[in-house]
Amino acid sequence: MAPEVLVARVLGLSRNAVTDATSNTTESSWDSLNHVTLVLELESTYGVSLSAEDALAMTDVATIKRVLRTYGVEWDGA
Amino acid sequence: MPDLATPLETLAARLAGISESSLPDEQTLIALAAIDPAAAAAWLLGSDDSGSWSRPRLTRFVSALAESAARSPGAVDTRELLEIVRRHGHLLAPQHAAELAAMARTEPADPLLADALQAALDKAPENPGLLRAAAELAVAGRQQDRAHALLTRLGRAEPGLATMQYVSGARQRLLRTNATPVRIALLSSFTIDTLVPYIDLECRALNLEPHIYVAPFNTWEREMLGEGSGMERFEPHIVFLAAAADDLMPSLAMPDAELTTSGEAAVDRLLTAATRFTSWSKAVLVVHGLHSVFRDSLGPASARLGPSRGEVLSALNARLADGLRSLPRSYFLDIGDLVARRRQGALDNPKLRHLASMRLSEPVLREIATGYAQYIAPLMGRTRKCVVLDLDNTLWGGIVGEDGPHGIRLGDTSPGSEFREFQQFLLSLTRKGILLAVNSKNNEADAMEVIRAHNAMVLREESFSAVRINWDSKPSNMLSLAAELNIGLDSFVFIDDNEKERALMRQAHPQVLTPEMPKDPARYRETIEMLPELQVLTVTEEDRTRTRQYVERRQREELRVTAQTPEGYLASLEIAAAIAAASERTLPRVHQLFQRTNQFNLTGLRYEPGVLSARAGDQGWRIYTAQVSDRFGDHGLVATAVVRADGDEWSIENFVMSCRVIGYGVEDALLARVAGDAREAQATWLSGTIATLPKNAPARDFYLRNAFTRDDAESERAMWRRDLREPGLTTPEWISVRAANGA
Repeated sequence: MAPEVLVARVLGLSRNAVTDATSNTTESSWDSLNHVTLVLELESTYGVSLSAEDALAMTDVATIKRVLRTYGVEWDGA
Repeated sequence: MPDLATPLETLAARLAGISESSLPDEQTLIALAAIDPAAAAAWLLGSDDSGSWSRPRLTRFVSALAESAARSPGAVDTRELLEIVRRHGHLLAPQHAAELAAMARTEPADPLLADALQAALDKAPENPGLLRAAAELAVAGRQQDRAHALLTRLGRAEPGLATMQYVSGARQRLLRTNATPVRIALLSSFTIDTLVPYIDLECRALNLEPHIYVAPFNTWEREMLGEGSGMERFEPHIVFLAAAADDLMPSLAMPDAELTTSGEAAVDRLLTAATRFTSWSKAVLVVHGLHSVFRDSLGPASARLGPSRGEVLSALNARLADGLRSLPRSYFLDIGDLVARRRQGALDNPKLRHLASMRLSEPVLREIATGYAQYIAPLMGRTRKCVVLDLDNTLWGGIVGEDGPHGIRLGDTSPGSEFREFQQFLLSLTRKGILLAVNSKNNEADAMEVIRAHNAMVLREESFSAVRINWDSKPSNMLSLAAELNIGLDSFVFIDDNEKERALMRQAHPQVLTPEMPKDPARYRETIEMLPELQVLTVTEEDRTRTRQYVERRQREELRVTAQTPEGYLASLEIAAAIAAASERTLPRVHQLFQRTNQFNLTGLRYEPGVLSARAGDQGWRIYTAQVSDRFGDHGLVATAVVRADGDEWSIENFVMSCRVIGYGVEDALLARVAGDAREAQATWLSGTIATLPKNAPARDFYLRNAFTRDDAESERAMWRRDLREPGLTTPEWISVRAANGA
């Protein structure tokens, strides 16, 4: 599953509304609670354990994808 | 790319042949789905072959098709997608099901899509993808009740934080329901916001509309003081205080800290806050017990060196629980016990603890919320009064009508011990005032033989307040149970292993709570044990004996119906009366009986407690009491008479008897005893008065039918006298009287 799909699900957005530029400043629903939810979902979906620095840094979709690649995560359309 | 030409050409040739070939192979069709989802969809819907495919094979193909269609939106016609959802949606993984349904959705939504999703959900009722798609449609269509019900099912099916947040967020888009509001306050020493959607779900499942106040981070002590705090203004019905031991006692993380001292300080802080809170609020207070995620630093050696961390925490928890017990409406929540019940995951997620001050990990949130619901449900009057049980494969393994009373599985070893354990649990429900009843399709004689005679049965005839064993439909039996027990359908829980019977009951009587039952009987107990609708916050003496009263009433009624004559009925009841003088112990009950009795009350004289005590200690007076039992149970102290026992004429000042035993002849037995004592004391006359009171018609002929004669003219108070030298005034022959000293 592409990270965009996951972000859309957690934030309650449609899949097409999520781009690399989607971030915690563009989306009001991306609050601290949803950020924790997102971290939990990314970890369980891709089977990784994110470091605290990475978890805190992932505040936009481009960064999420960049960080996931450093953990060796791949997805369709990547 | 010449190296690809050959395989692609081969594939194209095979695809071209599909229409002629009667059985295209699976690999070919999956390849077709990947490159041309429209053609694959057309084949799936148009071919008869797919009907003969095995389920795994069909699943692989439909999944490949769904994936491919999602990659190229618009490739497959919306109506076709809708048809695939209808026919094959139940086969899909949740994500695929959700994507397919999203693509099939039009603006405005086609009502056929809701039908298609419903058809798929009938076959896969817990597929979160289908549930989410159906819920979204219902929310968008403002179908309040349906949307709430689907969202609750979604939350139950997929209790991860992301889904739970979605569920509670989607409810915000719906209008307020007319469900009863409940105001819940959460106070904690750590981030507890993640628990909110889980509590929301539990409340909705109880048909409550939750309003949840989350106190600002770590302000619990100030909030508990009241004094204009946010919680005071919120006026909660119930407050959950979750202060973590690891926050209150930072020493727990240290290797050799003085645990007991810091622990006692922590318990004192909690109890001080609870004491203050109960002084200004009428809300129920539930306090988390102390629980640490840190182990003893010395491991196994700790237990040799002194009290271990676990021992210290147990002692502190006992102290906390004890302190809360002495406060009104306050409860100790054993977190260790709740956490021990969780199916998966540790309590502690160290990363989130450090990152977000979260002390409850995602997997335990549901367990904690279920724990909270155990308090919310009884507080808000959601406790059900009666559990109605199927018999075959519910209370025992097998079918008694086929396997015979000795062939069923029930005993101390498996298979059979699972059912015995479940019965033991059900019996415990009766001790907190919840009734049990039977609703079973069986030959009554077969089933009753097991209930009466099988040596491994825990539940017996006397455990059930009402029984329906027949071939009527279970919903119609439910109506007659409601009539017999005089309770509403919304007071019932119905437990049946049979999926079809459960579905029928839900359809006929949605008010009856019909929980899903696991296939494995070993899981019956835990499934029912945690139902919030079967919890109570207090247990009274009346609760403890409720089942017995219902059962005795039913047994007397059955006997009355089968008896040939009224005398035969009375004789078969085996009534026994213990007649004694009132004592220190029985005087309060005597007083209560005079206060409460309206029907069999000769004069209406109520007595002050002091007057009764004085009469009891006076040689010239006697206070008689009758304690009555029959073969079905004890009625208690149900009749009493105050008699002036003086000289030649004894005089009855007042005589009352509880309506529970009217018609048994107890009053005649008591009168016979008074007459006997008077004769023994050489008295010649026995007298008394009867007043005409609004409700005492059953008492007005008492003296007349005992051969007293009326002494005076017509008036509101008639004086009656009887010559004791005349024979008569004997105990009815169906009552056995024994003397008791009344002490």
